[in-house]
This record gives sequence, C-alpha cells and structure tokens, in this order.
Amino acid sequence: MDADDLELFRTAVIGTIAGRSGSALDSALAELGWLDAFDDDPRAAISVLFEAQGEACTASSSLARLMAHVLGHDGVLLLPSISSSDPPGLIDGTSIIVRGTSPTAGADRLVVVVADSSISRAVTTTADRFDFHRIGGLDPDLGLFEVSGTIASDDAVEAEWTAAVDLGRIALAHELTGVAAAMLELARTHALEREQFGQPIAGFQAVKHRLADTLIAIETARAAVDLAWDDRSSTTAAMAKAVAGRSARTAMKHCQQVLAGIGFTIEHPLHRYVRRVVSLDLTLGSSQTLTSRLGAEIIADGDLPPMLAL
Amino acid sequence: MEAYIDVDVDVDIGTLGALPSPSMDLDVFKSELDAWLDAHADELRPSFAGGGSLDQQVEQLGKVRRLLFDAGWMRWGWPERVGGLGGSNLLRAYLGEAVTLRGLWEPGFSALHEVLAPTMIEYAEPALGAEMVPRLLRGDEMWCQGFSEPGTGSNLASLACRSVRDGDGWRVNGQKVWTSLAQYSQRCILLTRSGTTESLHRGITALFVDMDTPGITVRPIGAMHGHEEFCEVFFDDVFVPGDRTLGGEGKGWAVAMDILPYERSTALWHRAAYLHDRLRRVVRTAPPGSLDPSKLGEITQLLFSFRSRSRSTQYRLHHGGTLGAETSIDKSLLAQAEQAVFDLAESALGLSLLVDDGPLQDQWRSEFMYSRAATIYGGSSEIQRNIIARRLLGLGNDR
Repeated sequence: MDADDLELFRTAVIGTIAGRSGSALDSALAELGWLDAFDDDPRAAISVLFEAQGEACTASSSLARLMAHVLGHDGVLLLPSISSSDPPGLIDGTSIIVRGTSPTAGADRLVVVVADSSISRAVTTTADRFDFHRIGGLDPDLGLFEVSGTIASDDAVEAEWTAAVDLGRIALAHELTGVAAAMLELARTHALEREQFGQPIAGFQAVKHRLADTLIAIETARAAVDLAWDDRSSTTAAMAKAVAGRSARTAMKHCQQVLAGIGFTIEHPLHRYVRRVVSLDLTLGSSQTLTSRLGAEIIADGDLPPMLAL
Repeated sequence: MEAYIDVDVDVDIGTLGALPSPSMDLDVFKSELDAWLDAHADELRPSFAGGGSLDQQVEQLGKVRRLLFDAGWMRWGWPERVGGLGGSNLLRAYLGEAVTLRGLWEPGFSALHEVLAPTMIEYAEPALGAEMVPRLLRGDEMWCQGFSEPGTGSNLASLACRSVRDGDGWRVNGQKVWTSLAQYSQRCILLTRSGTTESLHRGITALFVDMDTPGITVRPIGAMHGHEEFCEVFFDDVFVPGDRTLGGEGKGWAVAMDILPYERSTALWHRAAYLHDRLRRVVRTAPPGSLDPSKLGEITQLLFSFRSRSRSTQYRLHHGGTLGAETSIDKSLLAQAEQAVFDLAESALGLSLLVDDGPLQDQWRSEFMYSRAATIYGGSSEIQRNIIARRLLGLGNDR
C-alpha cells in the first residue's frame, strides 16, 4: 500500500474496531476483507489492525485466524496454553490429545497443530469435538477459552508452526505497542489537565521524565518490530515480542504512577490496559522467557545473531 | 564528544548531498569496500595491541583516513565541491560501520568528521570549504568543536566566550571546555558571543579558527577513562579573520543547530556498530558460566533495537528528510545500550577487568569507565528527556 492507501485502510480498520469486540468484531473484519488485505500487504495489514486493537483495548480472534491463514487453513487456529509457544496437540498413538486456548467458542472450523517429532502437522476439525471452559482470570475481557479434547490424527497435513508463531509474535508486538501508546495518551492527557500547586502536573520534571521514558520504551519496541519485518527471522520476531512486552510493562508502571489515584479506580480505563499488557505479554512466549532463551542461544552459539545490514 | 544541548528547532538537512546518487549503488559500495579493506588489512592495522594511547589512537585515525581518502572510499557521500564524489549519506554510514567493526579506528574520534564537515560545507565560504574539508577527510588535519563552556553546558544560549569586531576580523576572549582532541587539532569550529549577553541565541557567531593563532592555550583534562581526550581551551585576544565567519554574524545558533542532527545520526550509527563489536567480544571472551542469559538477552535486544532505530534515521537522511527532536530518542537508546554493554563486560570479565595487566584489560577498563559518560555526553539523559517531553509529548516549556 502507498501512504494514501495506508491511511484509508487505517481509517477503515479503526472505524470497524470502534465499539466492537469478540464475534461482532470478527464478522466486521471479515466483511472488511482484512485477510485479503493481509495477502496484499502483510506488514500494513498486521501493523494497522493489531495496533488499533491494542489502542482500543478490544479483543477479536484475529490472531488465531491470521495464524491459521499463514498455515494455509481457513478457520481459527487453536492457540497454545497461556505462556506456551508449543503446538497445542500431542500425538498419543492414533489420536491427538489437545490442550490449548481459543479466543472463541463459536468457530465453525478449528485448526489444531500437532508436534510430531521434528515436524508439525495440522488438522482441521469442528469445535464440537472439544470442551470449552471460559477463562476469567486477570483479563476477562479477552474472552479466552481453555480448550481440551481428543481427536483422530488421520488427516494431519504438514504445517509450518514456526512461521505461524513468528508472525503471531510480530502481531502481538504491534498490539502491545498499541496498548502502551494508549496508556501513554491517557497519562499525558491527565498530566496536562490535573493541577496541583497551581500548575498542571505536566510541569513537574518528575512527571515529564516518566512520560518521556514511556515514549522511549514505546519507540524501542517500534524499532524492534521494524527490525523483525525487515529481517523476517524467528530470532528477530521473538526479539520484537520480547521488547514490546517489556516496553509495555514499563509504560504500564509509569502511566499508573502518573495517573495515580484516578488510574486506580475502575471509573478510569487504565486497569483494562494493565490487564491486557500482562495477558498479551504471556501469549506465545513472555518477554522474560524469550529474553533468557535468546541469551542462552547466544551463549551456546558463542556469537550474536546476525545483524541487519544497512 | 561535546556535551550539550537543549534545542527547539527542527533542521532541514536535505541540501547536504543527501539525495541518492545514481553513480554509486550501496550494495556495490559495500562489496567493493569490504574487498578493499580485506586486501589492505596489513596496511590498515593498528601498530599497537588493545586500545593504545591517545597519541597512538590519533595517529591511527589519521593513517586510516588518509588510506581511505586516497583510495576514494572516504570521498563518497560528500559533495563534489569539497573534494567528494557525491552519493548518499548511506555510503558514509556503511564506511563508518565497516571500519569500526574491523577495529581500525576509535569510533568516538572517527565520528568527529561526520559532525564537523557538514557544518563547513553548509556555512563556510565556498572557497574555504573546498580548501579545508578535504584536509579533514584525508586525515591531514584534526579539527575540534568549541561549543561548551564552564558556564554553558546544556543551555547554549548562555554562551559567554566574547567576540568583538576588530577591523575586518574578530577579537576573541574567553574559555571553552570539553573540547575533544583540541591538543591535536589544527582548526576549531568555535561558537562565540558577538552580541550582548541578553541577545541569548541571536547574538552568537560561529568562527573557523586556526589553533596555532597566538593567544590560544590548550590544557588537556585528565579523565577517568585514562585518556586526556577532553580539553580546556583559553582564548586571549585571539584574532580571527572576517572570512572565517561561518554563516555570517549572529548565525552561530543556526550552525549549532545544524550540527546537532549529525551528532545523533551518522555518529550514532558508527557507535552502534562499535557496541555490537564489543558485545560480541564479551560473548566470546567471557569465562563459562559468567554470563546471565536474561541479562545478555536483554542487552542484545536493546542493542538490536537501537541499531534498527538508527538505521531508520539513516534512511530518513538518505531520503532528504528532516531530523529533529526525535533523534533525542536515538541518543537515549545509545546511552542505555552503551552502559548496558560495558556493565555486562564488567560483570562477566569481573576480576580480570579489575586487576589483570595487559593491553586488552586496559582497553576494557578504559571503555567501561568511558561508558559512565554515555548518559552525559552529547546532551545528558535529563536534557534528552526534557526535549522528548516538550517537543514530542507537548508537555510544556518548564524545565
């Protein structure tokens, strides 16, 4: 997309997201033809949708649909259990034991990926084969279900799980950046409006520097995401996810402090973003896990990953 | 590197040979330069092990610049009117990176020409620029940047070093400080107060000063990294000819503002390459079990993010774009990354860095100590945050 197309697309996506979540948002995005936009320009489609979704702090099954699409399947991909990045299916003789999460209980088709020694395989099946258990937890608005069941392994076809995870991580990195940017805007607005000692608290350097540090963290995440898109390796996709998760946690801490009392109440939207930061950071590998894994790989290799050429 | 500045303007640097050149493709440049550097490795190599003394570093820098200039590499990316061959700033960025990664020069010093040459090209009389810039690029001369003063750190508008009209020239009296490599320099780009003190940023004039002019005294300052790299420079009735005025009387603020984006663009790109090299060395030399995987992973992510950020800045320059307050984020990332890399080195190399003799240990010690200044030089972290808060977040003018 050129700059004008991108702006039109962004406006359309933001309009589609406004006031919608869950299956209503899924239908509206399908009507908008978001997956076609993805086929046309993956980077534009992912960055615009997931950042907007993060900024609005809404939820859809776009991540699971995107990952299924990357694997060449139509439907909703069963995501790993929270905090895991492994395929949710395990071969057990002629059947597959499934334990994962899904953003919806109402999908016509569910795509289950199975780890089968060194390769992964995917099975498309119907949702009625599984038990769905609603996850409340810290972030109930995410609308996740814990999914379990046993299915036959007959129709499993080869699937590039890693490719799906890589793109899923990049999408989540965009979403985390959107969440962080929204928190910064909430805190910034508050700092300019809230007066103490006869002036907006934005005038105090202690406040300014917290918000500046938040922007630095967000821009660091954006740079890491840019790197992942330019480089398109599993290593840099994981880096983007880790940096975005850590940056969003930094933003969460600073913005909570600036928003202080009002940000602690449920009359202010901040708490929803705080919940979202934690749940997104834990999806497909937390910043902590991905970071220590990167360090361990570097130590094992005795060298840094290749750096992106100018 | 100089220490300062808190500013309020964006600078359009689209005029400085930033447009892509049809005459040299980046990929061709990369492969030909790499081959040349490999073929001339023996000639280019420093004669000393480790970081070397300041004298050795400066001599090595001059040698490498000369060889690069004579072979043409150093001329790419600079305008033809100052002896360059034209082409994109990306060529300069790659040259700096390639030479830095091979450890052929001290990257803090090598980046000085990236900061000073553009100022001369933009603001000197054309004949003066054409005469002088090649001397800098070829390594015939060292130049320094006389901005900071004892009473002028981040607040450039408080500049006090006086210049008064004397015939067709200027008489300069006052003092500069933190002037990198002044004791080796033949020239200085000097900011002076030509107007009244109340004229703030309007009454500043930039001069191009010969360092051998009578009345100039240079006093190197001992610094904690072991090198007398920074100096005090005293001006006692120093005469500067009028044709050495850069940009005209009272235009010094514009000159300073134009230097700023270069301090935070190409120079930072070189530094990213340097930190990459040092982190790689830490990984290779750290004793087994001495590296904390989480810490190492986080620093690698930070460094890769910084490089990605700096790369975007290079491409914005390449496309003739404008650099402004957002480069404060680049500088903040450099400061974080630089301290993180050497903190990791200190913790991984521990005892060896603390007590062992030898040029490599000396170098680690010196670089660790130097990295303490990363949140101070080139505008402190506090100043960068003020700029970010005011210019990028619209949080108002109070400092």
